[in-house]
Amino acid sequence: MTAYVDGAAVPLEAAAAEAARLLEGARLPLVAGLQTDVAGTRAAILLAERLRGAYDHAASDALLRDVGVLRQAGRMVTTANDVRIRADLVLLIGPRLTRLWPDLADRLALGAPPRLAAEQTARKIFWLGGEPGAAAAIGATEIAASAEQLPQAVAALRAAVAGRKSRLGGALAKNIAELAGHLHAAHFGAFVWSAETLDALTIEALTGLVFDLNLKTRFTNLAFGPAQNAVGVLQTSGWMTGFPIRTGFGRGYPEHDTWRFDANRLVDAGEADAALWISAYGASAPGWRRKVPFVALAAPGTSFPYPPKVSIEIGAPGQDHDAIEWSREITTFTVTPAKAASAAPSVADAVGLISEHLKGNEAC
Amino acid sequence: MLIRLAGGRVVDPANGRDGIGDVWIRDSRIIEAPVGETPDEVFDVSGKIVMAGAIDIHSHIAGGNVNTARLLLPENHRAHVARPAETPLSTAGWSTFETGCRYAAMGFTTVIEPAVPTHYALHSHLELADVPIIDKGILTVVGEDDFLLTLLREGGNRSAIADYLASALAQTKGLGIKSINPGGSVAFANNARTFDLDDTVPFYGVTSRQLTQALQQGVMDIGIAHPLHLHTNNLGVAGNVDTALRTLQAADGKPLHLAHLQFYAYGKEGKRGFSSGAAQLADAVNKTPNVTIDVGQVMFRQTVTVSCDVVRQYGSIGMAKPRKSVIFEGETVSAGVVPYLYKADNYYNAVQWAAGLELFLLITNPGQVFFTTDHPNGAPYTTYPELFALIMSRDLRNKWLADVPKEALEQTTLPSIEREYSFSEIATMTRVAPAKLLGLMDRGHLTPGALADVAIYDDDPADRARAFRHAHLVFKDGDLVVRDGKVTHYRTGRALTAQPSYDSNIDRRLARYYDAAYGLSRDLFKVPEHTIGLDHAFEEVACQG
Repeated sequence: MTAYVDGAAVPLEAAAAEAARLLEGARLPLVAGLQTDVAGTRAAILLAERLRGAYDHAASDALLRDVGVLRQAGRMVTTANDVRIRADLVLLIGPRLTRLWPDLADRLALGAPPRLAAEQTARKIFWLGGEPGAAAAIGATEIAASAEQLPQAVAALRAAVAGRKSRLGGALAKNIAELAGHLHAAHFGAFVWSAETLDALTIEALTGLVFDLNLKTRFTNLAFGPAQNAVGVLQTSGWMTGFPIRTGFGRGYPEHDTWRFDANRLVDAGEADAALWISAYGASAPGWRRKVPFVALAAPGTSFPYPPKVSIEIGAPGQDHDAIEWSREITTFTVTPAKAASAAPSVADAVGLISEHLKGNEAC
Repeated sequence: MLIRLAGGRVVDPANGRDGIGDVWIRDSRIIEAPVGETPDEVFDVSGKIVMAGAIDIHSHIAGGNVNTARLLLPENHRAHVARPAETPLSTAGWSTFETGCRYAAMGFTTVIEPAVPTHYALHSHLELADVPIIDKGILTVVGEDDFLLTLLREGGNRSAIADYLASALAQTKGLGIKSINPGGSVAFANNARTFDLDDTVPFYGVTSRQLTQALQQGVMDIGIAHPLHLHTNNLGVAGNVDTALRTLQAADGKPLHLAHLQFYAYGKEGKRGFSSGAAQLADAVNKTPNVTIDVGQVMFRQTVTVSCDVVRQYGSIGMAKPRKSVIFEGETVSAGVVPYLYKADNYYNAVQWAAGLELFLLITNPGQVFFTTDHPNGAPYTTYPELFALIMSRDLRNKWLADVPKEALEQTTLPSIEREYSFSEIATMTRVAPAKLLGLMDRGHLTPGALADVAIYDDDPADRARAFRHAHLVFKDGDLVVRDGKVTHYRTGRALTAQPSYDSNIDRRLARYYDAAYGLSRDLFKVPEHTIGLDHAFEEVACQG
């Protein structure tokens, strides 16, 4: 059996019916986690709309830090493939990048000259503010900066590129000055970073620096987001409602508010009185503290801080069923065929079943 | 289901029809009036205008760049609202769902998303699948990738280029081929900030003109209906009417579609060095019957420009309003998203607005000029009703003229133009001609056997815009989907594709190229035949053979 109500195994239909009853009876139902493929995301957002609920994603902090800077200041961005074939200078910025993306150096072919560069010379590769030893592992020149130093180092780099002075001192100041010289000399440079390891001000400074550099030469950003289709969920939310995650339908139309529709806040403040937790990729559990009754569509073996009212075990996207997911390798969506197709329901299947048990009519 | 639309003014120029009569629908098709059968449903449409469903050939409604614009501009949803906050849903004017509903309410039943780069087609189709009611199609953007440019550098083997284009259509499930400032993305990557028709694409030794002509020939060779859809060089630049005239010549008597021509209708006259060249350009179009154009009309309001012309978009970021832009680069094409506010009291915007209307009114054949705002670049598609009203009424234009700077009008011929479009000309421009241009044989007309996409409007000379915004009735595939301007229910549309046959040797060459250049399989970029999770089906359109 793969479905449970109050911990007791039940047929899937019965679990879906109980889930529908719980969610439909709520004043403000919340769809959270939302770690699923595109089909699961579409189904979940449509369900949230039908229930006049709200939805959020487990990786919202990083996703919205990134979007927050984007919608304040704009950005120049590119794809991993473009960096691979074109960039003669690659500057990684911030810690843990190769832990978040273990194949990063291979994917960018950092060890080989860029295929389409004007001159077939080795790339210049730098890593500012990586953890000790990480730069050497991918053949990059390490520019050490602690997490506390990094925002100042990026600001100093922006100042140095613009020919201005900064208050930065010591070895880091010298390294930053040299780095600025390398940036000026590049034909097509790329900054590689993730919002998972940078704060908003640093992101804004370095994306501003890219705009500055383009006054004379060519530079762009390769910003990669959290894994497991989190970026795909953000994108899907964008086209379905016009807004990122943390959007609610309480008034009958989508409203986006990063504070109001923060899943943990909604639960802990007592606003959300029932939740649907979606976690198809692995054992991920809610982080809220109040014990709101919830339905779990989660991978088998997920342990929860308190028992879900209804639980349906879900197949993994790209493992148990074909999935459309965001691929950071190609910086867009792709189809991931099932590695070992199984009968385990997908999130889209399970949400579809729950929706069928709702009493309200579908609206246009 | 047998339906009789009784007693309306049927405007069906494909059949030379403009008079009172009936239209009959059986299931999803138009039929001859049946003998001795009682209809299941009769709609009295006396006093109304009955036309085929409208077809929009160029509207950026879906895909990565459009979605970036949504994420960049959460405050911009109101800009896509037709009129201030009429309904609660008007705060989300820009989602895929709203796009389908608003187009349908205007009587549009087929819309083409005209800029899908080869590597991002799955994203575009995912969004289009969430656009309800209407049918869709995409134009596949080519011209910037190393594989194709290398083919050209090596002499441009004509059959290999044709195979490449057909393979791109297969990979992306496209309906046609588009090129955008051809070679411009490559030039920008190599630090160019301008790129003209006779500039050389860096490292490849071919000019933008040669690339354009090779693509134009390639599209003819694969035998699809729609000719090369070209966004030519120097968009938006003062004096670029010269570029447009040279592009018309470069078409060399062969079929070509020149997109959003208004953005190329600029002279350098007047003390600000910016004037309308539209009259001269319209005259040239009238003498170049092998070329079709769409207008890309500017309307005065907040919008956002979304374009793969990265040279132009990068050049525009200083004029962005609000002041934030996204420049996106990629291995096959680049793009930019730049918000912009067109204002009636701005000299330049007024010239742009007037130039678009001049093109509508001075190009004599309504089958050669297509109705677009290049959504959202000139204006959101939700301004179409006002635009229909403007081209149908000189009196209305005169009212608008009073609100724009006189100095700007002196640089245009608009005040002197008396022409008013008839319903029949509107139907030719928005129904008959687009269907023909795209090869959609069973659309754009009400011939028995045609798809029962029908739009019925009030005939209200006092407020044409209202009638076009809120169609009285709209049928999609014979299914009533709009009543009194309100969508009655969702249904899923189809994506129209053209899939000419080709020598699959090109796929093997491309597979080897992807392995070498990207270390990845080209299959990652394919839109699969049976796309999982998509509600819409693909419908193949016949090639010309």
